[in-house]
Amino acid sequence: MTTATDTSDVILDLQDLRVRFPVFGGIIPRKTSEVRAVDGVSLTLRRGETVGLVGESGCGKTTVGRAIVNILRKMTYRVDIEGRIVYHHPSGAVDLASLGQRQMRRYRPDLQMVFQDPYSSLNPRMTVGAIVEEPLRIHTRQTKAERRDRVRWLLEKVRLSPEHATRYPHEFSGGQRQRIGIARALATNPKIVIADEPVSALDVSIQAQVINLMQDLQEEFGLSYIFISHDLSVVRHIANRICVMYFGRIVEEGPAEEIYLRPQHPYSKTLLAAVPRPDPDRRR
Amino acid sequence: MTIPRDQRNSVSEIAARTAIESHEAEQVAAPLAGAVAAAPPESVFRRRLRKFRRIKRGYYSFLLIATAYILSFLLPLAVNSTALVVSYQGDYYVPIWRYYPASTFGQAAFGEPDYRALQAELAQAGAGDWVLMPPYPYSPNESLLDQPGYPPHPPSRQHFLGTDDRGRDVLVRLTYGFNVSLTFALLVMLIADGLGVTIGSLLGYVSGTLDLLGQRVIEIWSSLPFLYTIIIVSSIVVPVYVPGRMQIMQPSFWLLVIILSAFEWMGITYYIRGEFYREKAKDYVAAAIVTGVSEPAIMFRHILPNALTPVISFAPFTIVANIGALVALDFLGFGLPAPTPSWGELIGQGMENLTKWWLVFFPLGALFTTLLLVVFIGEAVREAFDPKEYSRLR
Repeated sequence: MTTATDTSDVILDLQDLRVRFPVFGGIIPRKTSEVRAVDGVSLTLRRGETVGLVGESGCGKTTVGRAIVNILRKMTYRVDIEGRIVYHHPSGAVDLASLGQRQMRRYRPDLQMVFQDPYSSLNPRMTVGAIVEEPLRIHTRQTKAERRDRVRWLLEKVRLSPEHATRYPHEFSGGQRQRIGIARALATNPKIVIADEPVSALDVSIQAQVINLMQDLQEEFGLSYIFISHDLSVVRHIANRICVMYFGRIVEEGPAEEIYLRPQHPYSKTLLAAVPRPDPDRRR
Repeated sequence: MTIPRDQRNSVSEIAARTAIESHEAEQVAAPLAGAVAAAPPESVFRRRLRKFRRIKRGYYSFLLIATAYILSFLLPLAVNSTALVVSYQGDYYVPIWRYYPASTFGQAAFGEPDYRALQAELAQAGAGDWVLMPPYPYSPNESLLDQPGYPPHPPSRQHFLGTDDRGRDVLVRLTYGFNVSLTFALLVMLIADGLGVTIGSLLGYVSGTLDLLGQRVIEIWSSLPFLYTIIIVSSIVVPVYVPGRMQIMQPSFWLLVIILSAFEWMGITYYIRGEFYREKAKDYVAAAIVTGVSEPAIMFRHILPNALTPVISFAPFTIVANIGALVALDFLGFGLPAPTPSWGELIGQGMENLTKWWLVFFPLGALFTTLLLVVFIGEAVREAFDPKEYSRLR
């Protein structure tokens, strides 16, 4: 990772992001209250860097990820988003938070997401080939043959067999499915990949495979990751910097090792204490 | 604060330790995976279809009904008073295909020749002319009054299931009625489900105010009494029977199909709407949005195939309900206009002539058997398409 501090290296810049979900009630449903899922998050992501976003469930880390790829407005009824999500596109900086779905389309190939649950993130009625091909069909003008070759290539990149393209998601294991999800995310040559708890639904042994794969791919394609997880021990190894989130705010931010070894905020300490030690006799 | 490459690669202590085990596990699993790969890929739908085929009772019922229905379109070739081929004075005629006036064959009558009489006549003449009749040479709308006594006639060698109160062959009317009933049920299902699925999808996907208002409209619409509406409509639009047209090409048939569909689409919207609410919260929809898939494609290509299970599992029962509805309407006299061959009308005759057992048992038996077989199909489909099974397989 480069330690350059100049802003030209920054690819994504969150400025005071706030997301509020309305709560509806009453016989004629109207907004009765709201949930502040994200309450003023500022964050920068540099090229080729991995930022880990850690926190307990419900602290708003997934919402941050979904806000960045701009799907909240479409997935939730009357969500309220404030602040700026500045994406430094080669042609100039844009505020993704202000874009509608149509304008967002242009930037979709650059921002992709890997989802937590490998069972629900792949459409059970589509073949693996169709799933990985879909982004290509939408964002490129490749011919059918070109797309097929690219799908095969992508499947190889995530260490699946190209023959798997004709199979259906339910014929794969959790780890394999997650790799299909990664292949889909990589199809359009993204700049930024939001990984929303990509390994927390997997067995520990499979977690290692997937994380190693993600690291290799980062090196090969020069990706920037925002790696969301509740597991500090996982994040420590993939992230360069860690942001600890608590109740919609970032309570502590710093280099990965720093946070892991010398947490300052009381919540970070609690979170770290919750990490199981593989060897009880060894001190952390 | 660059993390050394070797350390980055090792991941967490836990993972590193188990990585070795997992590597071993994967090697063990590798030949297994190869064995799985040898089997052809199978979609969820095909898997369910295979399961359906294994449920014998339902599957055989399905084969039986499907075959009978397809064959019933060939009924004019097997059960008809029009001859298939006539060889008359050296020329061949195909009355089943073309219309010939009675004078063509030297009969002193207007309109359609009486081919049964012609057959007997030519056989007697012995001039080498012949008539090839269908195996059961009676038409559904033909009154057979040449028998001794008054109709209804009991079952006999000519009329296996007897005749009704107008001297029409019961077997013929039942077979033609089967085609009419099933065609009616399928069409109503197709139109009602098409409408219901589209509206349900929209409500579920768009949600919000549209859903709220749509739901209320549906509730109001479902509270309209369907039978009264039919009675009112049929008193305004006089059902006409166009002679010489196939039953399913009659305008009154289509009128009834549309009216019934208009009152039947609401039920399925609730299910589809619910399915959409559930499915659209799943990550694959989020993934589709992230990918930039267009709204209609998300609705119909991504979510809809996953939301169709209720439609498929309800289909056989919808067919049962539709056949039942048509029979009820015909029984009450508000269904298809006379003389359409219909089961409800025959059952009505049975009630008026309770002593004529063939008018009571045969129509009811036909209705009962058909509905029972369709219910068997429904049971099997429901079991084969149980969505819980595969979500448990995780």
